[in-house]
Amino acid sequence: MLEQSQLHAIEARCTQEAAPRCRTSCPLDMDVRAFLEHLAADRPREGRKLLERHLPLPAVLTAVCDHPCENACLRRDLGGSLAVSALERYCMKAVPEQSRPLIRPPKGQKLAVLGAGLAGLTAAFDISHKGFAVTLFHENTREDALLAAFPSLDRALPEAELKALEKFHVSFVSASLDEALLERCTEEYSAVFVDASCCAFAPSREETESATLLWRGNICCGGWESLTPTGAHFASASAQAGEGRKAGITLQRIMTGVSLVASREGEERKDRLHTPLDGVQPEARVLPAGESYTAEEARREASRCIRCACMQCVKECPFLQKYKEFPRVYARKLYNNASVVRGTRTANVIMNGCALCGQCEAICPEHFSMADLCLHSRRDAVERDVMPVSAHEFALEDMAQASGPEASFFVEDPALAAQGGHGATMFFPGCQLAASRGEQVLAMYRFLREKLPGGVSLHSSCCGIPAHWAGREALFASHAETLRTVWEQAGRPEILTACSSCMTALSLALPEASVVSLWEKLDNMLTGPISCSAPDVMNVQDPCGARHNEAWRNAVRSLAAKAGIRVEEARRTGEESACCGYGGLVWNAQPDVADAMAEKRAGEFSHPVLTSCIMCHDRFAEKSESLHLFDILPPTAGKAVTSTPPGLSARRAGRMALKEAALEEFLGIRPEHRHDEEPILLRIPDEVRQNMEKRYILRQDVVTAIAGIEESGAKFLNRENGHFLGSWRPRNVTFWVEYTVDDDGGFTLVNAWCHRMVVPGAIQPATKVIMEERVHA
Amino acid sequence: MSLEPNFTTDGGDWVCARCNVPLEQIKVQALYMHSAFDVFLPRCPSCGLTLIPRTLAEGKMAEVEALLEDK
Repeated sequence: MLEQSQLHAIEARCTQEAAPRCRTSCPLDMDVRAFLEHLAADRPREGRKLLERHLPLPAVLTAVCDHPCENACLRRDLGGSLAVSALERYCMKAVPEQSRPLIRPPKGQKLAVLGAGLAGLTAAFDISHKGFAVTLFHENTREDALLAAFPSLDRALPEAELKALEKFHVSFVSASLDEALLERCTEEYSAVFVDASCCAFAPSREETESATLLWRGNICCGGWESLTPTGAHFASASAQAGEGRKAGITLQRIMTGVSLVASREGEERKDRLHTPLDGVQPEARVLPAGESYTAEEARREASRCIRCACMQCVKECPFLQKYKEFPRVYARKLYNNASVVRGTRTANVIMNGCALCGQCEAICPEHFSMADLCLHSRRDAVERDVMPVSAHEFALEDMAQASGPEASFFVEDPALAAQGGHGATMFFPGCQLAASRGEQVLAMYRFLREKLPGGVSLHSSCCGIPAHWAGREALFASHAETLRTVWEQAGRPEILTACSSCMTALSLALPEASVVSLWEKLDNMLTGPISCSAPDVMNVQDPCGARHNEAWRNAVRSLAAKAGIRVEEARRTGEESACCGYGGLVWNAQPDVADAMAEKRAGEFSHPVLTSCIMCHDRFAEKSESLHLFDILPPTAGKAVTSTPPGLSARRAGRMALKEAALEEFLGIRPEHRHDEEPILLRIPDEVRQNMEKRYILRQDVVTAIAGIEESGAKFLNRENGHFLGSWRPRNVTFWVEYTVDDDGGFTLVNAWCHRMVVPGAIQPATKVIMEERVHA
Repeated sequence: MSLEPNFTTDGGDWVCARCNVPLEQIKVQALYMHSAFDVFLPRCPSCGLTLIPRTLAEGKMAEVEALLEDK
């Protein structure tokens, strides 16, 4: 399980929750984006509430603010920064005061503020609103310092807001601001603030602590003048008010005896949010026709805000979109999910919905990896035995079939086998190419044997990637051992693979083996032009397994070029390629997400797509014109019986057929029973077959079920239509088959469904075994 | 967590083919992941063969299975 510190490190990589530039540039932490959102949505009252919540003396401050947010605005070069300052002034004018802050009885400690500049007034405002009494010493009238610093300020504004301060136990005392007064205040008050814009004896900014603005003892200082880039002095309202606020926090801590520096990281104004600007059209600033904005003008101007946000990964990934959050939140949810001891783990769907394809990591400016996070969570869930069984069960059964006696085989190069020799190369086509394109696998093997020096062996099995993706490390390790045994018995040959996931898995399982992509090898072997009937212009789909395998991607493009295909790159190609939905077993755990991924990716192609991964091909084939490299390369082109992707049952049958054909061709072994010999004659209409696929019901399950049901006679009869119905539970799933008995003694399947729950009396002979579950009930 | 107590067939005149008797709604226990639920299902009163209609398997039952797997 993740440590909390690890979680924080992971979370920190996602900047989506970081403040936008307008807010980080504001010393008062004004939530400008939310303010503009309110105005754009015609909610000026909400806008004013925000101003009152964030700003001290909001009427004065909005009138004199030098709005650093506008300099930081990302709209600056896209039509001009948002007119935040003018919109704030509009809002203050258009809407009456919204909040009535609670006036608390004064606490024991008292603060002295020397100087009624903007910094001093901000410190007095903030501290008094926390319930401390404040004495504010000023020279002349109490508004004079402000009016001197900001000559254009209308005197009525400070008059009203300073009067309002009196209710919050701020007393204004006219006095000469000198060191004698300072000395008296340090003794008589719990803490003192010196406004540098009003006190000649104030220290320079450098003489105070930058993080706290502490000068000495219980005295803080702020309100200095700022410098323009050309060296001119000016009073920055935002900077002075910001200093008053920062010092105010320190002063409060002095008065309450809290650490002056602890947990103040939030005050650091760091720009962390990444906001992509692609596709943001320039839009000119809306200027008020009169002196200030009308409601409509303000709404239009506020609507220009691009609402700075990152979401770059989310925009690309249907999985990240599905749960309506972003990686930082997902990390937190997965962490909480792993911490559940008793109760519902609601984030299981998050860890199992990721294709582990790595696109988000490639796109993210901070390289946040959902794949690492989700895989880690899966491993943790498996280790603690809380992984939902159904999530990956079918995929793992498929892996077992592909690497079990039914489908897996190894053939030593026949020319070398007789003398006990070993091929220098082993062709490892991968279980899905074996399932989908058996004839082409054999054609490619014949070609490789003919052309490659040193002999070539053939190993058909699963590489183990499903176990890796499912977080089942022990299964992956034991599978790796099986692969290693075969590889060592084969004389430790170089492995040629046609699947990028196999490449990933074999590199993990057999790190000492040399694993090379078939495409690189073929690119070296096929030096001249390749004649084929492929379209002239194609997009290329880079499989997620080849995201970091440049050699693979280059070889595919080189082969395409030799075949006369002009490759036009789709968006998000190469390292940023999107997954077809096969990765990470999401096709098993959450088929809806996997389908959305295939749909989205297929929609990004403007031409027929050339794939180098058979699963990419098979998943795109229904949605757009798709060719696999095997369809254009001379050794294999035209050798496929059909390019229509097989269903789940046909995949298993395809692997068995390949094994039979290979053993017969290269070892002269004929099977006693061919894989397609079934104990009953079964007809499955296409529509029913498609429903079975969706429910992960295999033809083999139906055959076994009907054969078993007919033998035992334990079935129901619908007297209305003569349909029979029975069930069969060969493993953790009960299959129900509704069928008719045909005149020729065969059967036609009408419907099939399944469930995992055990209902005694609803199961066939395996009942006894299953009943043991009752012990736990 | 409990299933709706009574589920009949998805339509049709179903009988137990082996005993040739109509089915009756009888209480049985459904079990999954260390949890048990009482539920009324169409069952052969003679041999106990119990029918699970498709709508139940793919509806409430699937929902409860998913819920229990996340427990």
